[in-house]
Amino acid sequence: MLKVVFDAGPLITACKFYADGKLIVDHLLPGCQIVIAPSVEDEVAVLGAPYPDGVAAAERIADGRIAVDPISSRRWSAHLAAYALGDGERDSIELCSQIEAEALVVDDYVAFIAASRAGLKTLMLPDFVVELAKRSLLTAQSAEKVLRAIRPRYRKGVVEHSLMQLQEVM
Amino acid sequence: MLKVLVPVRENILRAAEQRKATGLGGDISEFLGQLIDLGFDFRLRTLYRQFEAGEISLGYFARELGLSLRELYAVLEERGLPTSSIALPIQAAA
Repeated sequence: MLKVVFDAGPLITACKFYADGKLIVDHLLPGCQIVIAPSVEDEVAVLGAPYPDGVAAAERIADGRIAVDPISSRRWSAHLAAYALGDGERDSIELCSQIEAEALVVDDYVAFIAASRAGLKTLMLPDFVVELAKRSLLTAQSAEKVLRAIRPRYRKGVVEHSLMQLQEVM
Repeated sequence: MLKVLVPVRENILRAAEQRKATGLGGDISEFLGQLIDLGFDFRLRTLYRQFEAGEISLGYFARELGLSLRELYAVLEERGLPTSSIALPIQAAA
């Protein structure tokens, strides 16, 4: 099972958009284990409780489909100190390093750069969808529907690039 | 709408009173409320430019604006703005 850490942005997107009448997160979960930091849980499921995606995330956390792991040590504090990051992004980088997850899924440029420079494999959510399809953990047809559903949250070119990568898998 | 007590610079208050006196504006508190909205909008746009340029993260942006990350996500979505600051596809590192 592919173990990945999700930052708040991709988690909200995955819990908000639907493909084939199913939340994106439910397309992803059979093929991976999603782990989040407690601060990301706060941002998405606690402070996000008034939103349907916050409720969706909270339900999946409550029944264990999404795991919340505490940060036990901070290896990158000094390295990350000068970046203009929020708590969730900082903690996601620490958690990914701590649990030796396969990748950090993050849609934020600053967090992406900081995590990559910390030596972590870093994927945007559309890249992660393609990765699941490459590993046959998600069908290419479902991956395409997922990518088209989340397109509004990305800048021009990002999802189009992923769709081309997906063509190579199909 | 909530009502709060806010200190206002004298020249801004004079401007509001003058607008009312010349018939340009109605209620002074409404005018001041509009200024606050404009100030928030300006701050949002300034921070969004920094976010877009890859200088600050979404979480930092939310904190600076005084919103939760989920509230900021909703504000950006309402305005049709992407919540990802990555402009071009980046190949996975490592």
